[in-house]
Amino acid sequence: MTHLYRILLRFYPAGFREEYAAPMERQFQDEYREARATGGSARLTLRALADLVVTAPAEIARELWQDLLYAARVYRRCWLATALALAALALAIGATTGIFSVLNALLIRSLPFQNPERLVELWLSPTNVSLGRAAFHAWRDASPYLADAAGYTTNEMNLSLARDSARVPVAETTANFLRLLGAEPEFGRGFAADEDIPGRNGVAVIGYGLWQQLFGGDPRVLGSTIRLNGTPLTVVGVAPRGLDYPQKTAVWTPTVYDLERIPKSGAWAWQTIGRLKPGVTLARASSMFDAEVERANAGRGRPIVRGYLNRPQLFSLRDRLAGPVASASLVLMGMVVFVLLVACANVAHLLLSRTTERRQELAIRAALGASRARLTQQLATEATVLTAAAAVAGMAVAHWTARLAASAQPAQLSARQYTVLDWRVMAFALGLAVLTGIVFGVLPASLIGRMQPRQDAIRTQPGSKGPSRMRGFLIAMQAALTVALVAGSLSMGRSFLKLLRTNLGFRADRVVTLNVSLSGSRYETDNRERQYYGAALQRLRAVPGVESAAAVSYLPLISKMFVGGRYWLDSGEQGPVSLVIAASPGYFRTMGTEMVEGREFTESDRQGVGRVVIISEDLERSFGRGPLVGRKLDLRWRGAPQRDAGAIALRVRPGGKLDLALRRPSQLATIIGVARSQRYSGPASEGSAQIFFPIEQSPPGFVTFAARVRGNPEPYLAVCRDAVQQTDRDVPVYDVKTLDQRLADALARPRFYTTAILFLAGFALLLALIGTYGVATWSIAQRTREIGIRIAVGASPRRLRGMLFRQSMLPVGAGVLAGVLAAAGLGRFLRHLIASAEPTGFWTCVVGASVLATATAVAVWTATERIVRMDPTAAIRVE
Amino acid sequence: MPLPVLHMLLALSEGERHGYALKREILRRTNGKLNLGAGALYGSIARMLERGLIEESEERPDIHLDDERRRYYRITPLGRRMARAEAVRMRQLVQLAETCLGLPETA
Repeated sequence: MTHLYRILLRFYPAGFREEYAAPMERQFQDEYREARATGGSARLTLRALADLVVTAPAEIARELWQDLLYAARVYRRCWLATALALAALALAIGATTGIFSVLNALLIRSLPFQNPERLVELWLSPTNVSLGRAAFHAWRDASPYLADAAGYTTNEMNLSLARDSARVPVAETTANFLRLLGAEPEFGRGFAADEDIPGRNGVAVIGYGLWQQLFGGDPRVLGSTIRLNGTPLTVVGVAPRGLDYPQKTAVWTPTVYDLERIPKSGAWAWQTIGRLKPGVTLARASSMFDAEVERANAGRGRPIVRGYLNRPQLFSLRDRLAGPVASASLVLMGMVVFVLLVACANVAHLLLSRTTERRQELAIRAALGASRARLTQQLATEATVLTAAAAVAGMAVAHWTARLAASAQPAQLSARQYTVLDWRVMAFALGLAVLTGIVFGVLPASLIGRMQPRQDAIRTQPGSKGPSRMRGFLIAMQAALTVALVAGSLSMGRSFLKLLRTNLGFRADRVVTLNVSLSGSRYETDNRERQYYGAALQRLRAVPGVESAAAVSYLPLISKMFVGGRYWLDSGEQGPVSLVIAASPGYFRTMGTEMVEGREFTESDRQGVGRVVIISEDLERSFGRGPLVGRKLDLRWRGAPQRDAGAIALRVRPGGKLDLALRRPSQLATIIGVARSQRYSGPASEGSAQIFFPIEQSPPGFVTFAARVRGNPEPYLAVCRDAVQQTDRDVPVYDVKTLDQRLADALARPRFYTTAILFLAGFALLLALIGTYGVATWSIAQRTREIGIRIAVGASPRRLRGMLFRQSMLPVGAGVLAGVLAAAGLGRFLRHLIASAEPTGFWTCVVGASVLATATAVAVWTATERIVRMDPTAAIRVE
Repeated sequence: MPLPVLHMLLALSEGERHGYALKREILRRTNGKLNLGAGALYGSIARMLERGLIEESEERPDIHLDDERRRYYRITPLGRRMARAEAVRMRQLVQLAETCLGLPETA
């Protein structure tokens, strides 16, 4: 029992324990002996326990408060070093936590699906819903690896209710889509198994958010009618909260086998998802899928853009939804953790040097009777105060990091938004703070353990070899990391600058852009799109300050899916798959795209006169036939529809048949001009083969209006919007932005990663400077006596300074060499961040290495300045 | 002033005592009503030392009678003054209660 009591006494803080543990234990012993004689030992034990529970926390609080006051005094005395340490830790903890919040959202937090790890996406599956319901079912039932499969397409549509209307993302799916995901409706019902049969499919499930927003969460929504592009559908269910798969969908309808039902136009893909059969691994399913593709793929057209995503592949849905963000975040996380380690090493070192300076103080306290435990407790409190403060400040940094990451690469599902307000992220930050505190708190404390009070109180010992070798290693590691990061950031920065300077083929400044879609409107029904576009353009051009305006089916930087087509030159050569774009007169002038040859469309290129086209420079070049203006292109459609990343051109007119937009009567069109190629997907993409038709001769169902204005385009956004809106109140105008804004959006991702790594490199460089300066100062302080003696016996201070300089720079040099090697490896990882990142070249490494070497040399040289001014007699008497 | 502290000061005003003896003395004086646990006892001692109400005494009564681990405390002049002031304050309080409530002279 007494033994137990002795253990329990450890709950008291060190100072109290040291004073009173012995008498308390002794007292307990006496009382216990007495109590056992009278038979009240159980009561005594209970009493002692109660006493402990009440008084121990009070004593801890009291001693902690003392320690805190003392720590505050200590930190105030060296506020600059403290502020540096605090900032370094806060930034490091914050950045690490922020990136963890992204990883947490993408990889750890669960999806709003049942057993999401069994869900797969069959990217570009040769068997998809376009083959029809019977064929798709037959394929699914025979599949050796899928328990179930569903198909869908997505499109934006005009949703109209009795009073409201909105532009919403819609998924047209098979009936089993929601069931396959395991997403039971919040209320109402999902689709019945046969509800994707044409004629029975006039139903819809709406998203939770939409229900709240447009229906005010009214349960009477069930059974009500909504209109998508003018087609009435009955609402049968509300999707569970947080479900917006695929692609932020707000309405699901089982109309994927019946695409004629809802009129629409655009380019989109037939997508396939599945649930794996029990016991089938992802790898096995993947190889079975590949074999299937192999069999089906003989004699298919080649995609417009070749690349990783343009071949059929089976992905885990979880990976697909995490996308490239996850791997990029992992890379960033790796770097940030490194920087955090360096920051810890630095702060540890800072506290370590201070501990060394405080050795005398601590030794005197020890000699006066303070126990080792008491002093360790004091140092631990100091470390904890610092990390706790850093962690709190770090949470702000983390929040900011997560916000920044979300703006650069938002999550694909709203259920995975990056947030720091999640228990895992909080726990991570807390764990990080505790770990950090231990890493740099324990080191100094262990030094106390080795302290010999009597000797130290009287004179300081020169630092032992162990810690100084450790310091050299820390510095070398830090230098290596910094060189790698600096070199990496230089190459990232260079490729980003290259992106900024890229000639896009158009000028993004001073252009206002706005979208309209006529799908399902009366203009489409009556074949009067031309009339609408003409009227809208007239109003737009009449806006004061608008220099020119145009309409185009696909504006650069807007769409990720395009219509592709192949055409023949009159002499018989087949061209490459080209983007097919409809444009109004004045389009190239408005976009600032130069005509290489010929002219651009004019009002005379109307319906009923000879067909004309404009081609891009790249298309002309790929024919290899020299100047093509005046030659003719054969517009006849031959062969199967082409795919661009799974997309296919569709035009569904109300009451009409599915109309592959590229199927045209055999007709020749005269090439009237050649334009500079526009980089459709932003500066990182290549210019491509493009073919432009006059909007009057082949009007699309949707267009983007672009207006070039005088001066700053921002104030024109509302004016231009109103002008187009006035053409017809019933045609919604959406996505009103300046072209500059769209360009900035396209650059957000490279900008984020470039900024991130530049920041990390700068931070690491700063830490390296502080680190080397600190070590140099510390080693001089340690050797003041020795240096004094050397000077006294005639050594030249100049030569001594050189010696110390060389000694301090040695680990830096070793680190720089290692860093150059590491930089080459880092370059490879950077490609995960932005595809346009260049490998880190030799000269980049050299520049990175010399930046670090110069900076540290200056720091060390400054630190050694004391030696030259040192008075040898004072130095010898330093203690 | 907390009651245990006053009791401890009163007990110490009659001579030096170590912690355990102090506790037993208070237990005896209050007829077992105030039984200080070890934590409470030494916590109070620590605070009283801090405020200078008591001090540690260097003299041991007899090294053979008592083992070295025991620490003896004695009251300081400040402690004595504080105890007296507290007692006066309490007497005034009791007098006030008597006039207000009409308590009998002795219980």
